[in-house]
Amino acid sequence: MTALCPSTVDELGAAIAETAATHPRLLITGNGTAEGWGAPARPADATVDTTGLTGVIRYSPADMTIAVRAGTPLAIVQQVVREHGQRVALDPARAAQDATVGGLLATADAGPLRTSHGSLRDLVIGTTVVLADGTTARSGGHVIKNVAGYDLAKLFHGSLGTLGVVAEVVLRLHPAPRAVTTVRVPASAEHGFQVATHLVTSGVEAAALEWCAGPDDRLLVRLEGTPDGVADRVREVSADGATVLTDDEACEEWSAVAATAVGEPGDTVVRFGALPAAGPAALGKIRAFADDLGLGVTISSSVPAGVHTVRVHGGAARAHSHLLAALHDDHHANVTVLRRDGLHTSSAWGPPPSAIRVMRAVKHRFDPTCRFGAGRFDGWLDDEKGLS
Amino acid sequence: MTGDVRAEFVAALGADAVLADPVELRAYECDGLTGFRVVPALVLLPRTAAAVADAVRICARERIPFVARGAGTGLSGGALPVANGVVISLQRLRSIIEVDPVNRRAVVEPGVTNLDISRAAAPHGLYFAPDPSSQQVCTIGGNIAENSGGAHCLKYGFTVHHVLSADVVLPDGTTAVLGADSPHLGGYDLLGAFIGSEGTLGIATRITVKLLPKPAAVRTLVADFPSVEQAGDAVTSIIAAGIVPAAAEMMDAVAIEAVQAALDAGYSRDTAAALIVELDGPQAEVDIQFAEVRQLCQNHGTTNIRVAGDEHERALVWKGRKAAFAAVGRISPDYIVQDGVVPRTLLATALTRIGELAAAAGLRVSNVFHAGDGNLHPLVLYSEAAGELERAEELSRAIAELCVDLGGSLSGEHGIGTDKACSMPRQFSEDDLATMALLRAAYDTDGICNPGKVLPTPRLCGEKPGVHRPHPLEAAGLIERT
Amino acid sequence: MNSEPLADCVHCGFCLPTCPTYVVSGQETESPRGRIYLMDLAARGEISVDEAFGGHIDSCLGCLACVPACPSGVRYDKLIESVRPQVEREVPRGFADRLFRRLIFALFPYPNRLRLAALAGLLYTRSGLRTLLHRLGVVERLPSRLRALEALLPPVGLQALFSSVPEMTPGRGEVRLRVGLLAGCANRVFFGDVNAATVRVLAAEGCDVYVPRDNQCCGALSSHAGHEEDGAERAKATIEMFERYRLDVVVANVAGCGSALKEYGDILSGSPDFAERAKAFSAKVRDITELLAELPARTARAPLDLRVAYHDACHLANAQGVRSQPREVLRSIPGLSVHDIAEAELCCGSAGIYNLVQPDTAEELGRRKAENLQATGPDVVATANAGCLLQIRRFLDEGITVVHPVQLLDASIRGVALFATADLNAKTRERR
Repeated sequence: MTALCPSTVDELGAAIAETAATHPRLLITGNGTAEGWGAPARPADATVDTTGLTGVIRYSPADMTIAVRAGTPLAIVQQVVREHGQRVALDPARAAQDATVGGLLATADAGPLRTSHGSLRDLVIGTTVVLADGTTARSGGHVIKNVAGYDLAKLFHGSLGTLGVVAEVVLRLHPAPRAVTTVRVPASAEHGFQVATHLVTSGVEAAALEWCAGPDDRLLVRLEGTPDGVADRVREVSADGATVLTDDEACEEWSAVAATAVGEPGDTVVRFGALPAAGPAALGKIRAFADDLGLGVTISSSVPAGVHTVRVHGGAARAHSHLLAALHDDHHANVTVLRRDGLHTSSAWGPPPSAIRVMRAVKHRFDPTCRFGAGRFDGWLDDEKGLS
Repeated sequence: MTGDVRAEFVAALGADAVLADPVELRAYECDGLTGFRVVPALVLLPRTAAAVADAVRICARERIPFVARGAGTGLSGGALPVANGVVISLQRLRSIIEVDPVNRRAVVEPGVTNLDISRAAAPHGLYFAPDPSSQQVCTIGGNIAENSGGAHCLKYGFTVHHVLSADVVLPDGTTAVLGADSPHLGGYDLLGAFIGSEGTLGIATRITVKLLPKPAAVRTLVADFPSVEQAGDAVTSIIAAGIVPAAAEMMDAVAIEAVQAALDAGYSRDTAAALIVELDGPQAEVDIQFAEVRQLCQNHGTTNIRVAGDEHERALVWKGRKAAFAAVGRISPDYIVQDGVVPRTLLATALTRIGELAAAAGLRVSNVFHAGDGNLHPLVLYSEAAGELERAEELSRAIAELCVDLGGSLSGEHGIGTDKACSMPRQFSEDDLATMALLRAAYDTDGICNPGKVLPTPRLCGEKPGVHRPHPLEAAGLIERT
Repeated sequence: MNSEPLADCVHCGFCLPTCPTYVVSGQETESPRGRIYLMDLAARGEISVDEAFGGHIDSCLGCLACVPACPSGVRYDKLIESVRPQVEREVPRGFADRLFRRLIFALFPYPNRLRLAALAGLLYTRSGLRTLLHRLGVVERLPSRLRALEALLPPVGLQALFSSVPEMTPGRGEVRLRVGLLAGCANRVFFGDVNAATVRVLAAEGCDVYVPRDNQCCGALSSHAGHEEDGAERAKATIEMFERYRLDVVVANVAGCGSALKEYGDILSGSPDFAERAKAFSAKVRDITELLAELPARTARAPLDLRVAYHDACHLANAQGVRSQPREVLRSIPGLSVHDIAEAELCCGSAGIYNLVQPDTAEELGRRKAENLQATGPDVVATANAGCLLQIRRFLDEGITVVHPVQLLDASIRGVALFATADLNAKTRERR
């Protein structure tokens, strides 16, 4: 298949404009870490390979902002800014697999730090995108505080490559913490929710509060700050049965959290959002159902945010699909498939959200000929039948 | 507008919810920016979300432009009415529907004031983080339209970071829920695009906001500096030290004079700049970092540090800061509040250039700003009676455009509205603006929702935006411009 | 109208949440910002002073909560007082409106007429006519203004109606001050017990107290309603009346009257004969709680085990800036706890004659105030204004006594329970 491999925004715009007639269907790819997300893309006439679109455009450590080409892996950006004691406050599992900044934006991915810093939606302060006709459009800018114009980055957040190509991204940076300690508290889902809620309201300002299931049920509390401050807060957090982890132990625990989101070949990985207080019951239901179906599950939940990632393994493909259907029944449009190896059908999405008309209208305005990412949203964008 | 349509509004909303008296309509002809005035054909005051939808449905069917209005505190003319259009005031949708302390969120109607959300949450030890200076007046609906920040947004972000979902009436009169119970949802971030759209994409009628726990500790100091530049350098050094203050605010001598005239908030009258730094968070972290902040202020030549000893003193510091704009009314008959952003490292450059521009124009400029994020609020002082209005407007515009030229933005929080729509081509290319227009058209096909705001229109801006060039998709007949 | 203060308004809207009529209606024209905007347009000749304009000026309670809330220092109090006479002159009122207003102005400033009316009211209540008319639903069918008048009838007994305080009461022990007390017109008729308590407390604290017997209305009602000339005449008469006694301090225990006395200097600044005298007079005026907070206490105070919800009367807090003193006075009583209420800055809807001429808005505000007061779970509600006392009592649940702060202090100094007011309350209950 033809691959367009631009290394600058101009090349990208030109390549897309020039291929409008010859290659009407395009699939945008980065390092391929999100191929399993959503529904499978339909065959395209060419891929838009963004892995050549890399590099830092402008880094201003004193302003704590960095502009990068969208094909740059997040891990590389982290390396660059770490030298100045800074970081992008985002820790998605896919970062370790060299996921690109553009890919992370298009998938709305995030890791345990979402508890304190949200997702890329909350960290991107400017974007440049290329539309289906090659138009290059910028929104936002290089300053953190900016309300001039519409924020196109929001539309592209979670767009799975169906609106256009993210070409450049400007990120807000945070100071890298001087000290980090993780405390592990053995806890059922219910107890974990209570402890996490208590910690949030006590003002201890945990950077991450991740409840994990499989093999043991536990709550991981990550504290970040100054060495003395963290030591003080660790004492506050540590209750009966809590373990203050060594760096190696902590690394192992957080790797396990990442592994849940990535999964293994043959697994199904699903992420869903729910009201925080509804989390324990929802998770209990999933585990019970998985037991019935003879499936194994590991879970990682950002408790205060109410975002849960569930890795389903073993059992029959049909059972994976049953479990997904059950999630769709309960959590409707707020369910995203992150890995679909285990599914025997391709219906990755649940019932569309009430705002689906707006989503379709956006798609229609931005990509009226449906050049990009056909199939990724399945029936939601209904691209084969034409758009309303 | 025909009498039939008016009768239909009356039938749908009730007679007391439709204002048509010419005198009453005049009171709605402007918002907080009084330089732009347009008298609407009608003002509607619906009491329920359903009534808002009814009103918009009639507008959509009749192609009547409508403008949503909260408390009318906006400073960019975002709620400026449209001639022959209607104003939909949300001031009767003021219920706090629910405060949910377990999930730390509140469900409110759009006319609830920003501060009332925090008041309702206070018994649970929670609050709503965005705190624009007008928080006791401005409404959450308006905060959503403008993506309001406030003094504490350096650490806590803007309205977009604190709204989970909103029931909206779309410009065709249909309703949809944008966002969800958690930040994870499938598909485009339609709520994120809606927030900050300045009322051009629809009307939010029921909003779920996040509430944060009150920080365990808060420390506030006011440091005086012999120059604004030194104060700016102090801020840069604080942030370079890896400290994210909850707030870092600065006022120059003119602003301090005004604040002290309005209320004695304890600021030193004989200093060139006052820097307010507030830290909050866990007690241990705050104590350690507060000592560092004091040291850094000293390193940069502070002449006096006043630490707020208790909650009362802290409240007074903030009361002074938040009243600064309006207080300037005491020392100048007229003034324009500008709002621009520069990269923080260029603060000193920007202030020098603003001083030069002001000197050239023969006018005084006072600077009040959010130093932590480079958001400047130069106040251009003038006297309309002395015929200085035009010069003041020119100076103000020049300052905003200076911010863009320095790599910043036309607006950090007041919005583009009517005021700056014609300056948008300075910051964005035609393609950028045409693409933004696509977003707008996706929500508002007929262009009836707060038309004339945000994006420049040839009618408003004359020749300024340059020759109209059709968007390629428009040329291909795939879209139409609204 | 002087248009200079109009230009001070920068349209920031900080006044909106403090404005009772705006809070109730959500309408821009029912807010200080909107009213100022209309006044400005009228001053420029862009709109005429018509019925719509007059309606929005009339609806202003004059509570002045917007004045301290204004960061630009707009003197809304001056603006509204200067536009009211213009409305009175230029906007023709309907017959019923005219008649009703005339009735009020012919009644309230005249204690004797008011006493007669109150007597009629007493007969109306005691004879069972009131109960009968309520039962027959006649009252429900009255126009809302008359209904408001009917509902506000205070539960005074025959004795209270004709009770009065002596013209001179000597202070106990070494005399510290010669104090004049304005007995008030409506106050004297309906709240004789408040005056009696005021005199007892002042005398106990070592003040000779003079209460002129010939006083008529001080002009507060007239001035606040835009009847400028009548207000000025009454001010002159009041000054002359008090000048006879060579006083150190003139005390008011009705917030509305007190704020009027303090404005005499301004009102009469253009009068050659009175400008200086008025200024000197106004400088001597204190609210009773102000004076008590200034005077170091001499008397012992017995504990009163009470939760008190304190309501800031607009004409005390906003017009006179007296907020802390009444609280201090109350806190000087052992065992008593003072509780602030939500939306403290919102007017209770009494506002002089407002609850009579704009009864619907007043009723909504009264209910809202009562809810906020009750939310603190008080035994007693205290407020330092006769109008507020009447208005709040109407909407409060049974069992909560409404008193003037000085009555609590009086009970504490005398070491007695609050029987007088408790008794009143019992009567209120019986009437319902």
